[in-house]
Amino acid sequence: MRLLALVTAAVAAALLLASCGGSDDAKGGKKVSIALTNNGCAPAKLSTPAGPTTFEITNKGSDKATEFEVQKGSEILGEKENITDGLSGSFSLNLQPGRYTTFCGQGTPKGVLVVTGKAQKAQANPQLDAAVRGYDRYVRDQVVALRTATKAFTDAVRAGDVEKAKQLYAAARVRYERIEPVAESFGGLDPAIDARINDVEKGQEWTGFHRIEQALWTKGSTNGMAPIADKLDEDVGLLETKVDAASYQPAQLANGAVELLNEVSKSKITGEEERYSHLDLVDFQANVDGAKQAFVLLRPALNRRNPALARTVASRFGGVDAALAPYRRGVTFVDYSTVDPAQRRKLSQAVDALGEPLSQVGGTIVAS
Amino acid sequence: MALTRRALLGAGAASGIAAAGIAGYEIGASSSDEEAVAGTAVPFTGRHQAGIATPAQDRLHFAAFDVVVDDRRSVQELLREWTAAAARMTAGRPAEPSAPNALLPPTDTGEAMGLGPSQLTVTIGLGPPLFDHRFGLASARPAPLQPLPLLPGDELDPERSGGDLCVQACANDPQVAFHAVRNLARIGRGTVVMRWSQLGFGRTSTTSRSQSTPRNLMGFKDGTNNLKAEDGAALSRHVWVGSEGPAWLRDGSFVVTRRIRMLIETWDRASLQDQQETIGRTKTAGAPMGERHEHDPVDLRSGAIPADAHIRLAAPDTNRGVRILRRGYSFTDGFDDELGQLDAGLFFIAYQRDPQQFVELQRRLGANDALNEYIKHTSSAVFAVPPGVRSGTDWIGRGLFEAPN
Repeated sequence: MRLLALVTAAVAAALLLASCGGSDDAKGGKKVSIALTNNGCAPAKLSTPAGPTTFEITNKGSDKATEFEVQKGSEILGEKENITDGLSGSFSLNLQPGRYTTFCGQGTPKGVLVVTGKAQKAQANPQLDAAVRGYDRYVRDQVVALRTATKAFTDAVRAGDVEKAKQLYAAARVRYERIEPVAESFGGLDPAIDARINDVEKGQEWTGFHRIEQALWTKGSTNGMAPIADKLDEDVGLLETKVDAASYQPAQLANGAVELLNEVSKSKITGEEERYSHLDLVDFQANVDGAKQAFVLLRPALNRRNPALARTVASRFGGVDAALAPYRRGVTFVDYSTVDPAQRRKLSQAVDALGEPLSQVGGTIVAS
Repeated sequence: MALTRRALLGAGAASGIAAAGIAGYEIGASSSDEEAVAGTAVPFTGRHQAGIATPAQDRLHFAAFDVVVDDRRSVQELLREWTAAAARMTAGRPAEPSAPNALLPPTDTGEAMGLGPSQLTVTIGLGPPLFDHRFGLASARPAPLQPLPLLPGDELDPERSGGDLCVQACANDPQVAFHAVRNLARIGRGTVVMRWSQLGFGRTSTTSRSQSTPRNLMGFKDGTNNLKAEDGAALSRHVWVGSEGPAWLRDGSFVVTRRIRMLIETWDRASLQDQQETIGRTKTAGAPMGERHEHDPVDLRSGAIPADAHIRLAAPDTNRGVRILRRGYSFTDGFDDELGQLDAGLFFIAYQRDPQQFVELQRRLGANDALNEYIKHTSSAVFAVPPGVRSGTDWIGRGLFEAPN
C-alpha cells in the first residue's frame, strides 16, 4: 500500500506538470473539472461555451464511477477510462454547440453537457480538408465491401458449408480490421461484431465473427450459427448506417492510425485475435493498411510541418512491410501458430518502431 | 513483501524524498524538498563516465541493445540523443524538454517525477559487434574488445548475451533506474531494439570506503577487498584505459557482465562449514577464515583458507596482482518454471582496463572454484565504455565517430 502511495505521488506530480504546460499553451482552451462519484459525474449538468475544452477528471472515493465519456447519441466523442479511486486523468475535445450526454461508469446515472455559443470554425487548411474527405471515402468504401464480404461469409454459414465459410472468413475480417477504430467509436457495435470469448460480460451473449470462427475451426460445424450470422449481418448494416453519418477531424485520422498499430501490438502479435483460425497476420496486415491509408492522406499536410517526420514514418512503414514479407503467401499469410517467438519478437519491434514516430503525427499537423 | 519494504527504505534513506513524496503528494514538493533533491544528483560530466567509480547505488537496470539500421549517422544521432537524455535524467529532470502541445505523447514517461535524481547514473557502452562491417568502425576496434572466449562452466544463453550497445542505469530508487532505461529505449525505437535486460535489486559490491559491505544472496559479505573510488592510483592501473588504448577510449574502461544463476536450493542445504569453506570467509562476521574481523588481511599462507575457496582463487596474490572493479547486483527473475526453483543470483558487473583481466580470473575460478557447485553463468557480455563527456555539447562516443579515419 505504501508503495502504491508513492506511485500515486508520481502520478499526481505528473498531472500537475501537465496542467501547467497546458496553461502556457494559448490553444489549450477551457478547463472543466469533473469529479467521479457513486452518484455519477459531478456536476451532473454542465454548460460550457463551444471551443477547445480539456476535461480534468478526478476520482475521490468512487468504486462505481471510474471513467468519463462525452457522447453524442451513441457515439463516444472522447473518453478517459480506468480512473480508479485516488487517480486523475484528462482529455481534450473541440466542442461544437449542442447537447451531449456524459457518462461516468456502469450503474451510475448519465449526465448532460450543454455546449453554447457559435460553432468554432477550424482554420481553413485545404490539405487537411482533403485528407478528411479522402478518409471519409476510404471508410465508406471499406464498410460497403465489409457488408458484401460478410454477407458472402454468413450465407455460407447459413448454408452449413464449413469449408466455404472458412475460405470467405478472411476477406470479411480484412475490411473490418482496416477501419476498426471507426467502428470502436460507435460504442457497443465493436463488441457485438468483434468480441473475443473473454471480452463478453456475464449474462451477455457472445456474438460476431469470433463466435463463428470458433465453431468453424474448433468444432468444424455451423450448428447453431445461423442466428449469429443473421445478427452479424444486422450489426454490420448498422455500422454502415453510422459510418454514413459520421464525420472526422484530422487529428482523429492520425490517432486512429496509432490505435490500429496498438491493436496489432495488443492482440495480433500475441495471437489472441484469431485464436482458432490463426489468421492473425491477415488482421495484422489489415490494421497496417488502415494506418497507412490515414498516413498517406495526411502526408501532404505533414510534409509542410515536418518533412523529416514524414520520411521517418514512411520508412518505418517499409520496415513493417519487410518484417511481414517472409510470411506472405499470395494475398494471405501463413498460419500464425507456425511463427515462433523469436519471429514474433521481430514483428513486434517493427511495429513499435513505426508507432513511435506515428504518434507524433496528430499533434504535429494540428499544431498552430 | 521484504523487497517492497526494502525498496522504500532504500529510497528514503538515500534521498529523504520518498517520505516527502508520500506526505506531500496532493500538493507537490515544497522548496526545501527540492533542495534535498538537488543534493542527491551525481555529476554527469567528468573525465570518466559516472556509474563506474561512483559509490555503488542500491538498484540496477541494465539493458543491451542491437542496432537495426545500417547507417552510421543514425547510431551517432542516437548516442547524441541518449547522452542529452541521460544528462537530464541524472539531474532529476525529464528525459526531454516538454512537448509543445497536449496532442503529442509526453516526452517523458513520468514515473520518476517527484522521486528526485536518486543518485542515478547512466553508463553507456559499445559492444564488439558494433565494430563489424556495418558502420565503418572496423578499423577503430580496440584490440581487446572481442566476445569473451568460452570459459569453464559456461552455460550461456545467447539470447541473453552480447549486444551492440549497453546502458547501465543505477539509482537508489528502482523506479528511477527503470525510468532511465525505459526512456532511452523509447528514444531509440526504430534505431535499436532491446536485446536483453536485467534488473538488480540490491548491490553486492562496495566501491567506496564510505560504504559498508553488503551481502549477496548466499548470505555472505561480498566485495570486501574490491577496488575503491578512493584508490586513485589502483583505478588508473586496473580500471581506466591508458595510452595502450585508442585515443577515443582513453579514460574509459571495459565492462564485463555475467548473469550468475545461484542454485539456491542446493546452497541452502549445505552445512555452515561447507558454505564457509566454499567462500573462504565466516558467514556472520565476514572475516577471512582464521581471522576475526571482516577487514583483517586475507592470509593465504596460514592454511585456514582451503585451496579451492573462492576468495583464495580470486585474490590478487593468486592472480599475478590482477584486480577488477566489481559492481554487481543481486537479481531475481522470479521463478524458473522449468525446474520449479527460484530464479535468482548475482548479476556480476566488472570494470577493468582490459577484459583479459576478467578472462584470466574466470579461467581460474571456472576450473577450480568450490563455488561452481552452486552457480552457473547463464549470460555474458563485454562492452567498451568510452570516457565521460566534458561539456553540454559533447556526447558519449564522439571521439570514436568523429575521429579522422
